[in-house]
Amino acid sequence: MNAPAAGLARSDFLRAPVLATARPDGYKEWHHFVVHRPGWRLLVNFNLTSENRLNQAPRLVPRVIVIAHQRRWTGTIGRFDAADLDVAADLGTLSIGGNRLSIGPTGYRVLVDLPERDLRGELYLAPASRPFVVNNQPVGEGRLSWLFVPRLLAYGWFHVDGRDHRLDGEVAYHDHNWGRFRWGDDFGWEWGSVLPASPDDAWSFVFMRMTDRRRLRALSQALYVWRHDEPAAMFRDAAVRVRWAGLLGRSPDCTLPTPMALVLGGEAADVPASIAITAHRSSDAVRAEFRPESYARLAQPSELHLDRSVVLSETSGSARVSGSIDGEALDFVGAGVFELLHG
Amino acid sequence: MVDPRLAGYPAAVESPPATGVAALLRRSFEHLADEVPQSYRHLVAELGPLVVEVDVGGELFSVRGRGGLEVADGPSTTADVRIRTSREAVLEVLDAAVGLPQAVEMDRVQVRGELDDVVRAHDALIAYAHAAVRAPSQPGLLTALRDDPGGPR
Repeated sequence: MNAPAAGLARSDFLRAPVLATARPDGYKEWHHFVVHRPGWRLLVNFNLTSENRLNQAPRLVPRVIVIAHQRRWTGTIGRFDAADLDVAADLGTLSIGGNRLSIGPTGYRVLVDLPERDLRGELYLAPASRPFVVNNQPVGEGRLSWLFVPRLLAYGWFHVDGRDHRLDGEVAYHDHNWGRFRWGDDFGWEWGSVLPASPDDAWSFVFMRMTDRRRLRALSQALYVWRHDEPAAMFRDAAVRVRWAGLLGRSPDCTLPTPMALVLGGEAADVPASIAITAHRSSDAVRAEFRPESYARLAQPSELHLDRSVVLSETSGSARVSGSIDGEALDFVGAGVFELLHG
Repeated sequence: MVDPRLAGYPAAVESPPATGVAALLRRSFEHLADEVPQSYRHLVAELGPLVVEVDVGGELFSVRGRGGLEVADGPSTTADVRIRTSREAVLEVLDAAVGLPQAVEMDRVQVRGELDDVVRAHDALIAYAHAAVRAPSQPGLLTALRDDPGGPR
């Protein structure tokens, strides 16, 4: 068993069978994976959302979201019925139709089978860094907890856009989120991971900032730096400064679900040309600049307003990171995927 | 092979095949009234007294709100707004292959009427889209529209 995966199944298990059963209203949970291969990125998300229907008990609606970026983002959101959902008794395997996520003692196994969209693949993702958990962070009136693994190594294959892609130790990122909140409430977030182009490079970065819906106030923010499989530095709140500059001069590559493009409209990007993150603590200092190149819009109907939507911009680009941690200099260019949620 | 997005939505899977856009739209409105009643009422309010005649590839029908939404087959003598398009153009807009403004500019969607009425019809269309993306039955109906051999094309 590799050391970073030790205890994985004890910490990264499905919460829905306990938490959503006890109080389903507003419950949401998802497992999110991003795989970086030079010139290609893959995002897979297994998603559960509690939905209320008139005169019926709330039910968990499962979705499988897959988007991939070669020259542009493409993908799909596969929505399934509650009857297609199965969670194993050990809370380690989530099945949604023919799709399956298993959390085992050495890592994650992900099976995707969306034949109507010609999407399928089998991934094995082995943690190369220890997971980290953050509990009960406010999102509007609700709360969200998450676990993330800054770096994994991805093996297997994936078929998308009519092409097969082989993976043999490419770097990847994972987070698992669960909680009760409502899309459209007074919150936004910026959530990004930066991984070096070479798996031999020791550094991994995760950035998150929770804001109000208008992005005028940062409620909490952090930059996490991992070296090999261990945390090297954590910069929180006042130790972190974030600066957006300019606007990305291109329209989204795609909007999912596609009918949401009708209600969102617009070609102009609400994605910056760059996000600069600086962090200082004691003698440690990091500067990371992420330069978005393209993005996909994942849209959610607001749960608070009949005529509003929430947009998650899945943004890919390059990142340059420099600084010094524990007296060790770091300076590299890597791949970044940032999720920008605007209420 | 059943589209996985259809699974578990018996209304969309087991009902007799719809023939034509008007029949599918009628079923769509029925589902919205059942599944997202607040959004449905918002849509009715946005449409107001307007009568919209729609021609999709030669299939002619009209939409009006009389407490609830009605879809009437055939031409309308009282339409405030007339929309002419094709099934392909409808699907291109719903698939986000073409934006609605671009579809209008390219004459893929033709709209005639007084400006205020056209704006109201547009607002009602957006209210319909907001309602549809909140209702679980609608992806199945969209697939039915895609696969429906019954309507004129």
